[in-house]
Amino acid sequence: MRTRPVRIDQVIPSIVERDAVSHHTLEAQCVLHSMGFVSEIYACSMGPGLAGRVHPLSELPRERSERQWVCYQASIGSPAADAVASHPGLKLVDYHNISPFELIERWMPHLGGEVRLGRRQLAELAPVVALGFADSEFNRVELEEVGYRHTMVAPLMVDTANFYSPPDPRVVDRLEAARGLGGHDWLFVGQMLPHKAHHDVIKALACARKMFDPETRLHLVGRESCPAYADALRRFVSALGLTTAVEFVGSISPGELSAYYASSDVLVCCSEHEGFCVPLLEAMHHKLPVVAYGVAAVPETLLDAGIVLPSKSPVLVATAVQRLLTDHQLHDSLVSAGLRRTRSFTVEGARRAFAQAIEQVLQAASECR
Amino acid sequence: MTSEVVAEIEAQVSQLRAAGQVPPGLEDELDRCFEDVAEVSLAAVGKAMSGVSGPGADPIAGSAGPMSLAQLRKQATTAARRLLGPSFRRLERRGALGVARLGEAASIRAHVTADHLERLAARSPWASRVLSAARPGEAAMSAAGTTHPSIEGPLLAWVLERLSAAPPEEAREVPGLVLHAECGDGRVVEALAARGLDARGADPRSPVRADGDTRIVAAGALEYLGATLSGTLDGLLLTGVVDRLRPGEGRALAQLAARCLAPGGVVVLVSARPEAVVAMDPVAADLAHGRPLHPVTWCHLLARYGLSVLATFEPDPSEPDVFAVSAQRLVPAMLGGKDHA
Repeated sequence: MRTRPVRIDQVIPSIVERDAVSHHTLEAQCVLHSMGFVSEIYACSMGPGLAGRVHPLSELPRERSERQWVCYQASIGSPAADAVASHPGLKLVDYHNISPFELIERWMPHLGGEVRLGRRQLAELAPVVALGFADSEFNRVELEEVGYRHTMVAPLMVDTANFYSPPDPRVVDRLEAARGLGGHDWLFVGQMLPHKAHHDVIKALACARKMFDPETRLHLVGRESCPAYADALRRFVSALGLTTAVEFVGSISPGELSAYYASSDVLVCCSEHEGFCVPLLEAMHHKLPVVAYGVAAVPETLLDAGIVLPSKSPVLVATAVQRLLTDHQLHDSLVSAGLRRTRSFTVEGARRAFAQAIEQVLQAASECR
Repeated sequence: MTSEVVAEIEAQVSQLRAAGQVPPGLEDELDRCFEDVAEVSLAAVGKAMSGVSGPGADPIAGSAGPMSLAQLRKQATTAARRLLGPSFRRLERRGALGVARLGEAASIRAHVTADHLERLAARSPWASRVLSAARPGEAAMSAAGTTHPSIEGPLLAWVLERLSAAPPEEAREVPGLVLHAECGDGRVVEALAARGLDARGADPRSPVRADGDTRIVAAGALEYLGATLSGTLDGLLLTGVVDRLRPGEGRALAQLAARCLAPGGVVVLVSARPEAVVAMDPVAADLAHGRPLHPVTWCHLLARYGLSVLATFEPDPSEPDVFAVSAQRLVPAMLGGKDHA
């Protein structure tokens, strides 16, 4: 017989500020508090500024009690998963996806091992978890595939601070000056990691410049998290003679990011794997139309608010962008659809969905009495 | 609506191809070009990480004479790369990696075996005669680039005290065997030896000692411990390596440490605090997720593999970003009865 828990704690491998999963976890804590539960966050490692809000994993209460539940935020391999597996209370998993190792291992062998471990731990947790919730249908299906019996979608509680930052005027001025000389501006936002496939966007750019507009430019925003891949991209750009056409922007402030969204013509995404893809949402919010390769959770995030391609053949991507830039009716309809889509991703809505997930487990638990 | 648009775009691509407006072979050329630069970048970053660089690093490129065997081999390889493309390069890379790993494993096993045989020789005059020439020569590694763990002042005193207290004195027939994994230039090894311990060191970038001291061998911590017999170490000091473990290696290292320690043996682990790394480099806090590991994670891992955490080194004003923990493999007498377990 189960009773309503007094506390629902969360466990996360590592937590830092300005990270999507970390922000989601902090938001989830607020939701749990608002539902009347005691709820603390326990992490293997934590970034600066979170002391007091987050506790070390060793302090996770482990009394054998039906009134103490634990929710694991799964995104990578970690000893935290083992701590959750051996926890005596009812267990929940909130799954944010783990990139397939085959997309990473060649470039980052160490991270390849970590994602392998993460997927193994996710499967090992399946028999002991009461409910697995995921931030997209794509992720939910993955949970089912590894043996989770009860699953549901609870959207990511996105940090919308980036959405409303005013564009940095200096960046806007610089980009607009370049635009004054002609040519269109493509944008891609995402960490420079191999599975984000920046190289495929560069291939499409090369085709676009040969076939349609030799003045087209590309801005790659995002921190360089894989030195070998970043090095290869620079060599690739140089080998193609595109050094003046491709800008490696790196990690930037929310105001600078807003400026790039405001001063670009299209967001081009050829990513091989996305569990959700927040930049798609940001682009739609900034009225920037999207051309994307339809893989993993990308079609689900975009729905009809972007051109979702069945392959990322460089010629196909270049032609799709050209169509978007020359068909004003299509452009405007996608911008409108994008704005509608972003409205369905409010933080309030995501909070409600998370609360509903918890209520569902509570309901199921009470029926066990 | 968008599916109709996509169908129109695909039709447009077909028309462009039919009309010859897509340069022939353009996409294949782009694929090849990226594969080529990818190989170069992976090799360049790999070299930078292994510390091998500069002229003479490539024995083929460094060879002299017109059309030597090495040059012929290089030309044949280049031709095969061009003909067979990425699949050949993948095969080539896997082959080279496999050979390198086999060679490295064999070398480390030889070193560790020699260590064990030497200790056997110390106990038995007969074995000493048989093994007089058993130790293999030290691998020649670049003296440049050797890093030295920063263990000084109060931290050094704490480390020495923990390791010196490892095995009960009366239980020793020979000096306790203590290994410093990632020992740098061996300063801590010398300090341990000065305390009467049979101190050894392993470091993947260990230089050949000018004074002929063969107590330090060229080997990584995981490899050395992997080749060490169970229950043979009285003390183990882990530094450096613990700050840059590949994922999954944290638990492997804790497991190996527990396996290699003799009953009563002590492991001391010295690491940078993850908060310090995050403050220096926020990238390390993101996808890298938790390297170096949090102190509580190390305690969790060591305990998981049957070690009892004894003490932790409290942050010192001289070393605010470092933590250390010592843990012991309990002897059966210390475990107590199990009737109430």
